[in-house]
Amino acid sequence: MNGLSLFLDVNESAAVDYFPIAVQLIFAVGFVVTMIAVSAWAGPKRKTSDKLETFTSGIATHGDARQPMAVKYFLVAILFVLFDVEVIFFYPYAVNFRALGWDGFYAVLMFVAFFLAGFIYIIKKGALDWEG
Amino acid sequence: MSETFVKILLGFIVLWPFAGFVLNGLGWHGNSKKAIARYACYMVLSSFVASVVIFFAIKSHGAYTVTYFNFLDTGSLKISFSFQADQLSSLFLLIITGVGFLIHVYSAAYMHEEEPKHYARYFAYLNLFIFFMLLLVLGANYVIMFFGWEGVGLCSYLLIGYWFKNNEYNYAARKAFIMNRIGDLGFLLGIFWLISKLATVDYATVFAQAQSLSNFDVTMITLLFFVGAMGKSAQIPLYTWLPDAMAGPTPVSALIHAATMVTAGIYMIARSNVLYSMSEVTMNIVAIVGLVTALFAATIALKQNDIKKVLAYSTVSQLGYMFLGLGVGAYTGAVFHVMTHAFFKALLFLAAGSVIHAMHHEQDIRKMGGLKKYLPITHITFLLGCLAIAGIPPFSGFFSKDEILAAAYAKNPLYWGLGVAGAAMTAFYMFRLYATTFLGSFRGTHDQEHHLKESPSAMTIPLIILALLSVLGGFLGIPEVFAHDSHLLKTFLSPVIATGAGEHLEHGTEYMLMGISVAIAALAVIFAISKYKKTPELGEPAGFGKILSNKWYIDELYDTVIVKPLNVLAGFLKNIIEKSGIDGLVNGVGRLVNYSSRQLRLLQSGQTGSYILFMVLAMIVIIFLWIDDHFIYKFISGLF
Amino acid sequence: MNAIILSAIAGVVMMFSGIFSKNKHALTNTAIAGLLILLIGNILDTYHVYTITVNTHDMLHFDKFGASFNSIAIGATLLYVLLSGRDIEKVGVNVAEYYALVFFALCGISLLSSFNSLLILFLGVEIMSIPLYILTGADKKNLKGNEASLKYFLMGAFSTGIMLMGIALLYGATGNFEINPSQSLINVPLTHGILGPLGLLFIFISLSFKVSAAPFHFWTPDVYDGAPSVFTSFMATIIKSAGFIAFIRLFSSRSEDLEVSWQVILPLVIVATLLIGNITAVFQQSVKRMLAYSSIAQAGFMLFALYGSNDLAREGIILYATAYSLATIGIFAILIRMKDYTFDGYNGLAKKQPLLAFVNTVFLLSLAGIPLTAGFFAKYYMLASAIKEGGHSALWLVIVALLFAAVSVYYYFRVIQAMYFKDGEAEMSETNKGFRILLVIIACIIILIGIYPSLLLDRLYF
Repeated sequence: MNGLSLFLDVNESAAVDYFPIAVQLIFAVGFVVTMIAVSAWAGPKRKTSDKLETFTSGIATHGDARQPMAVKYFLVAILFVLFDVEVIFFYPYAVNFRALGWDGFYAVLMFVAFFLAGFIYIIKKGALDWEG
Repeated sequence: MSETFVKILLGFIVLWPFAGFVLNGLGWHGNSKKAIARYACYMVLSSFVASVVIFFAIKSHGAYTVTYFNFLDTGSLKISFSFQADQLSSLFLLIITGVGFLIHVYSAAYMHEEEPKHYARYFAYLNLFIFFMLLLVLGANYVIMFFGWEGVGLCSYLLIGYWFKNNEYNYAARKAFIMNRIGDLGFLLGIFWLISKLATVDYATVFAQAQSLSNFDVTMITLLFFVGAMGKSAQIPLYTWLPDAMAGPTPVSALIHAATMVTAGIYMIARSNVLYSMSEVTMNIVAIVGLVTALFAATIALKQNDIKKVLAYSTVSQLGYMFLGLGVGAYTGAVFHVMTHAFFKALLFLAAGSVIHAMHHEQDIRKMGGLKKYLPITHITFLLGCLAIAGIPPFSGFFSKDEILAAAYAKNPLYWGLGVAGAAMTAFYMFRLYATTFLGSFRGTHDQEHHLKESPSAMTIPLIILALLSVLGGFLGIPEVFAHDSHLLKTFLSPVIATGAGEHLEHGTEYMLMGISVAIAALAVIFAISKYKKTPELGEPAGFGKILSNKWYIDELYDTVIVKPLNVLAGFLKNIIEKSGIDGLVNGVGRLVNYSSRQLRLLQSGQTGSYILFMVLAMIVIIFLWIDDHFIYKFISGLF
Repeated sequence: MNAIILSAIAGVVMMFSGIFSKNKHALTNTAIAGLLILLIGNILDTYHVYTITVNTHDMLHFDKFGASFNSIAIGATLLYVLLSGRDIEKVGVNVAEYYALVFFALCGISLLSSFNSLLILFLGVEIMSIPLYILTGADKKNLKGNEASLKYFLMGAFSTGIMLMGIALLYGATGNFEINPSQSLINVPLTHGILGPLGLLFIFISLSFKVSAAPFHFWTPDVYDGAPSVFTSFMATIIKSAGFIAFIRLFSSRSEDLEVSWQVILPLVIVATLLIGNITAVFQQSVKRMLAYSSIAQAGFMLFALYGSNDLAREGIILYATAYSLATIGIFAILIRMKDYTFDGYNGLAKKQPLLAFVNTVFLLSLAGIPLTAGFFAKYYMLASAIKEGGHSALWLVIVALLFAAVSVYYYFRVIQAMYFKDGEAEMSETNKGFRILLVIIACIIILIGIYPSLLLDRLYF
């Protein structure tokens, strides 16, 4: 049996099952397209150079946004994201705290140990040392 | 004796000579010839002592089969690396290590003129040869035997071409190797045939299951094995390498080309006697080939003037007798003859070596004569060897040859008649050799005469020991007619070699046969001595003698019938077919590979984007393929 | 289990020892000690001596096959560090981190050799790959290495995405991540529709990328060439073999015949891999790049295990992993010490360093699959497994493989030719006695296995 017959299988037996999904898909796409089209068509249009300028909270622009930045910044940002995401793992543990029992506790303890090891490592390596 | 002990001991027996090969081959002993020779000799001596222990263990306990490891293990075929030490192999062990040791000792003195590095090379090869020969006789299956079989062929090649600066010798070495390869091919095919039918190569299993083989299979297998034996043991038509092999040093001729390697074919057939006894056709072929070789080589030996060539043809002839013995079912007789032949032929070769040594590498007997008074020990031992090979009682050759001839008579009186004729020729040419060399007056140059003196004791002591063995060795197998149950060898070998039926002649007949053969041999001896003592043949032979002295022109025949047409064919293939056809094809393929390599390299652009693009394209193709496996076909047919 | 836990701990230990010690030799020795402990731990595991038992909820499945491979991978890494430790120390300043990353990669490998769930497969692949992205760019000052690292990371991320997609599809089809031997993946019930097989196809493609099978091999030459040579050696051998182990574990649990569609795709991939690897290797001027392409070619041979997927294939892949890893590690160890990486750089090596030239010849012969070396039996088992599985229909595939094996002889022998038959001044940095002895030992192992493969294979069934 080859792959083509799989498609045929799907068409014959399971096509009806996917009907609601198709409807939802059409509705979602249709809604967005309709709204954009309607607002573009119905809204008033006035094009001046002032209107097309970048403008945020009343502060005037100065220069290009693509400035070189200290690599430290990225390092700190990445480390933040890393630990932030790792902390998120506590949420599912907290929910299943009782059900997982001592085994779960040891597992989380190990997780925290590795996690802390990483933290100590980056401190020792001086990754968070802004001035160094 | 415990199995483990035997296992370890057998391992050492094989490994000692190998260690000798490795260390001497690597030049461990540097420039000290004494250390080189002593080391090599001790290795073989150790093996010999261990072999004696094994021999007695087998005598009291019976056969041992020990497995070291699984050598090959593929599906239904399992080949183990194992040794079988039984009566037959222990006998060969003793011959190989015993005679081998004597020849090692002899070599130490004989080769003393060599440079140290060549001296070490010589002993390394010699030890390697012993190693392979032991492997050959100890192996518990045909594959191990084949390893040894190939290995001894290699060592023979290396030792024949030992003096590699002489091109003639290199040709002789190559000839030996190629002739042996033809035989080996037969042996190998036989093993394959056996594997395809029985899926095993172990002796024990093969012989136990032999009855399940069809008659045709048995005949083919045994015939193919026999082709291997013909190559290794120099039988018609593959015998021509052996006389040329005399290019090697004389102790090598004694060890490899007389006492041990050339008898490997007889060992193999004696080992497979269960198979051979099942096929009448093969037995007849073996007997006839053996008999014809025995007679044919004997006629050539009549007119040779090179001392080693005479002995070489006599070896071919004696090997023929052994095959005759095998062919008529006298396996014990053949093995017996192997043993006595190992003694007296090694003796004759070594004595010849002693003569050559004294004569400063002169091998032509026409330039010798009267050596009796210069070389007393060599003379006596050589005479004893001649008496043994001529079959004069009570020397060893008499007993073993008589056993074969008696069995031949029981099979077919014609075999016996021709065999006796051959024996008479043997007696004649051996004493022609003896008389021309040792009797009469010296015919060499004055300078040579001045330097003539007996060889050193390292050479004469092995001669004396071998002479004793040649004289006494026959009493191991005293025929039934003289004393009841006195054939020690037959009793000893009975577990491995079934005694054939119809071997027993009436005592009266046997006495008569013995009397006739001894009388004829004795007559030939007396005739030869009286003929050549005073007036040796000095000139070039004429007439029929010329044909004989040119060895029936067999080499020339092979050259015209096989080599020349092959050369013509090769020339045609080389110049016409290969130049335009094969070369073009091969070079074309090479060019194609090169060209496509250059093109494919361009795909590797270094652009990550294009790599990912290719990958996605490939994924799409694969998914299409998976959906419909005729996709490519349709795609291509859609293009056109 | 020991291998997984110990390698992770060893990695962390290495990380910290880098902080406390700046002595590079000491770090190398620590790594060697760690590897030894790891090896012992794994061997204990193999003999069912458990130090730690963890309820893995059937997500991991430990067997002889996986444990044997772990031993080979760890043993090969040990040899690799022993041989090339001095060269690792020369790559850059963060020596401890390099070793830590090697340990983490080993942790991934031990997951891959024992996974029983697609989640663990994914974790294993990622834990194994991410250290490699870093190691590729370990030489921070080398632009080529940086480019290779980025390229590797981008394309690796791409393939990871595909794998994740495949796992998601399979989950959609079956409702769990288990790899159930009785209901093997490759024959996911077709009643579940197209999702299952398509998911499997995606995983196949992603793993093909990891083992650099054509047409997903493009990263290989660039990355292998750009990475520091010591790490190329590690990537091309141990990591690649691990990829195949994962492949085999995933696909060989099936008991029935190959699906028709696989019978078309798999041979095509094999032939393409053999073709591209061998043909392109012919034209290379640099031995290092030639080895990169030849590693693709060798992958083509290892794919036969997937085609065969029987006991012979399992034995064969273990044999192949050993033969190929040992030989390649040896060749690289010598290559790293060479001054000039081109073929001409090897000219006349046999005169200056006869021993090294000889062992290098043994390694090259093994890669070419010449009898009496381990490489011969490795190739033999691969082809035999295909014949056993596919019968006559696999014959053409085997013939093609043999033809390409003949092509491979050409470029491997170019090195031998340069070493022995060309005159030149091959320049090489200093080698000490231990280095040479180790190489000789490796050569002996290769020959030993080449004569007597059961020595290794019997370990699978003790």
